[in-house]
Amino acid sequence: MTTTTLRQGLRLDGATLLKLGVLALVGVLIAAPLLRIVLDTLSPGAIVAWSEVTTGRLSRNLLWVPLGNTLILGVGVACGCVLIGGFLAWLVVMTDVPFRRTIGLMATLPFMIPSFATALAWGSLFRNSRVGGQSGFLEGLGLAIPDWLSWGMVPTLIVLIAHYYSLAFTVIAAALATVNSDLVEAAQIAGAKRSRILFGIVLPVALPAVVAGASLTFAGAVSNFAAPALLGLPVRMQTMATRLFGLIEVGQTARGYVVAILLIAISALFLWAGNAVVSGRRSYATITGKGGRAKRFVLGAARTPLFLLAALVCLLTTVVPVVILIASSLAPSSSALFSNWTLHYWTGASNPSFAQGQPGIFSNPFILSGTGMTLALGASVAVTTTLAGLLVAFVLARHGRGPLAGAINQLSFLPLLVPGIAFGAAYIALFGAPIGPFPALYGTFPLLVLAATAYLMPFAVQTGRAVIQQVSGDLDESARMTGASFPRRLAAITVPLASRGLAAGALIVFVKIMRDLSLVVLLFTPTTPLLSVLAYRYASEGFGQFANAITVVILVISIAATLLANRLQTKSQPWLKS
Amino acid sequence: MSPRKYLVAALLAGLALPAFAQQDAALDAMTAEELLPRALEEGTVTVYAFTSRIARVEAAFEEAYPGIDMVAYDMSSTEQITRIKAEASAGIANVDVVYISDAPVVFTELLGPGLVLPYVPPRVVPLLDDNEKFPLLAQRLSTKVLMYNEEAYPDGSPVTNLWQLTTPDWTGRVIMVDPLQRGDYLDLMTEFVLRADEMAAAYEAQFGQPVALDEGIANAGEQFIVDLFENDLILVSSTDDVNAAIGALGQTNPPIGFTSYSDRRDNEDEGWALQVVNDVEPSNGIIFPAVLAVAANAPHPAAARLAIDFLMGDDSDTGGPGYEPFYVAGDYATRNDIASHPDAVPLEEFIAWSVDPAATAQIRQAVGDLVLSLQ
Repeated sequence: MTTTTLRQGLRLDGATLLKLGVLALVGVLIAAPLLRIVLDTLSPGAIVAWSEVTTGRLSRNLLWVPLGNTLILGVGVACGCVLIGGFLAWLVVMTDVPFRRTIGLMATLPFMIPSFATALAWGSLFRNSRVGGQSGFLEGLGLAIPDWLSWGMVPTLIVLIAHYYSLAFTVIAAALATVNSDLVEAAQIAGAKRSRILFGIVLPVALPAVVAGASLTFAGAVSNFAAPALLGLPVRMQTMATRLFGLIEVGQTARGYVVAILLIAISALFLWAGNAVVSGRRSYATITGKGGRAKRFVLGAARTPLFLLAALVCLLTTVVPVVILIASSLAPSSSALFSNWTLHYWTGASNPSFAQGQPGIFSNPFILSGTGMTLALGASVAVTTTLAGLLVAFVLARHGRGPLAGAINQLSFLPLLVPGIAFGAAYIALFGAPIGPFPALYGTFPLLVLAATAYLMPFAVQTGRAVIQQVSGDLDESARMTGASFPRRLAAITVPLASRGLAAGALIVFVKIMRDLSLVVLLFTPTTPLLSVLAYRYASEGFGQFANAITVVILVISIAATLLANRLQTKSQPWLKS
Repeated sequence: MSPRKYLVAALLAGLALPAFAQQDAALDAMTAEELLPRALEEGTVTVYAFTSRIARVEAAFEEAYPGIDMVAYDMSSTEQITRIKAEASAGIANVDVVYISDAPVVFTELLGPGLVLPYVPPRVVPLLDDNEKFPLLAQRLSTKVLMYNEEAYPDGSPVTNLWQLTTPDWTGRVIMVDPLQRGDYLDLMTEFVLRADEMAAAYEAQFGQPVALDEGIANAGEQFIVDLFENDLILVSSTDDVNAAIGALGQTNPPIGFTSYSDRRDNEDEGWALQVVNDVEPSNGIIFPAVLAVAANAPHPAAARLAIDFLMGDDSDTGGPGYEPFYVAGDYATRNDIASHPDAVPLEEFIAWSVDPAATAQIRQAVGDLVLSLQ
């Protein structure tokens, strides 16, 4: 009797200790940096930054105009993405359009192309002579490109929609695949018009997914740094992300942190609102007593035009940017993309009369070390996030009750709400100076690993959950009965059984780090060169070819890793099943 | 390795701090020949430089001193300052030599708190003016001045008074780097304000009446900045963008703008027609020192001093391999035994305003805020 109580007490303590440990981990990784920037702006010397940013003479340009641009981008991108992503999802899932599988696959690809790659490709095509230097391909053909098409809001919107629509597509397609075909058939038999079926049945079921797609793409757009930086700055268009970057770069950190906090607040507000709408509507999503084979809408005469439209969208957002990037990494002048190709930008030695003596990227030791550093970072972060995600997911799955688990859950998904660039700023604030016995991590590789691990925590926990759910809790229970410790159970049961899923998740983390710019752009130092930042710097210094060549390298590595991940993962794409 | 050896030796002697100071003083007094064996022992030297020409210095240095690896990073002055401050607060000793413009900020934010130390190689002491040795060593004078396209305007500069840049003739056709991204452009803006009286006189010369100030604007210099921005001034992020926009050959209506006079050296290689405007009221811009300093806690103190010695050039007329990348039209050596480049306007005839770092430092932040409010 006494022994049992004692053992129960001990076991409870073990679980609590484990939870406390995990809470400390996510606390240090996620909560501490964010708290630190808030506290920094509240210190006596810095608190004036709040009034300067929000009400003073400078507030218009520090906050309000960038905020306006940020919101226009967010709303515009969300609308555009839902329209295009929703249209493609509807075509692929609900209609008899030809080549549905191919369209479905192509529509998921743009998200793998980094947004700065798409922005660079846009520049190579549409750049006009406003800022001098090389003009784009279309001006080279003799077309006059107006400023609004070369720079500023319009191109930034287009580039971001082209990047993020695949996110909306994936979410909406998955929801449409759950539309009960019995309902649709019943309506058809009752003689309902197509439009009525669309608005009466399909849209209500898909609404939560539409809202989710809109809020995700909104959050992506407001925190994106690369596209507005490359396309907006020449016409002095600032978003909150570019303003934050500029302020930190020139050492006005207090003002920068205030902008960062406000940016986090806006992004969080919209994601929360989207979430609230979706959970309020949850009852719709549960009507999924799925009938037999879905009957597809017959498009009739519209079949070919709609197919051509979809194919055009897919080609313009996947193949065209990649082709332009490759061509412009070979062409000396972006106004003549397909002439005088040279490998100088790839392999050439330094020549003072060519590109200010910049050697080709494979002859530049700095870029070679950047490549090594980027690959090492991707690999390290793939390992650390997978471990951390697995640990958190395990704790939540097996001991998911109580306030401690609630706090762990909330904290580990918090980075979803934090734009990468604001996260980078917070990490510099916290780890830029020594803390107690720990040395400062500024300019070190571990800082990059820590920041990236924390930033990708929500994704890793998601992967970890899926993996753990595959492994039956019974196995873990039985092992525990035999007295196996927690690490032993994890190593002997969960990990081996879930290795394929874990490997796929790790590869996707690797890709996300390879192509990330916004998180690392502030953490960059000459001692920790990373490819995406090097590409951004080349682009902003007018060396477009080098930037494009580096971007092609990133693309090749990313696509290879993604394909590998797809092979490992029996990818669930229910909308592709016929 | 060797700094640790020194440290151990110093600790054993129980004289850690004075020994360091003594060691710095001893290194400061050494000739290049005396520094060399210690520098070879250190093996490497890290340089932060604000010019891409440092790549050529690196090659020349490694040829002159085989066995010492120069690691050079090309970073804007603004970025160097942010980084050096961040590294100092992180307790990281990464850099040995700081080669930087932006003197107003360097004096107040790096030299003041002791993040960098002055060093003047003994052999060049008699060749420099006092203000080129104190508070930091000036290697050369650099410029941010008005430049135009001499192919499009073969008869000379299209602008004879800076205030013309605020007229409709030049709407959307004046280009420069964002002053909030590059400190030397903020210094240029600050100089307009410091020279407000001259700007006011120039206004009257141009328009025949005294300048009328907007509300909240204190003087003609600030008013010029406001009018310039309101005339759709184009801001870019690097001087090469400015150079290409102004200088590219074959343009019929090229813009005009502020950039480095010395970038004219690239005209042939890059296909530019950059030329300086030296006949303009009240001035064409600023001329300011590029300074050299040793980082406090430099991990390679002897190699750092050797590199600075090298960058100051040798006794030949053009300064030899160390100074060669800077012996170009538009850069002016501080050493009085190196003559101005024959293709450049001689320094005595060059009309640019000479920057006063202390005065600039005082109002620089306020001018920065004015620029921010205009963007």
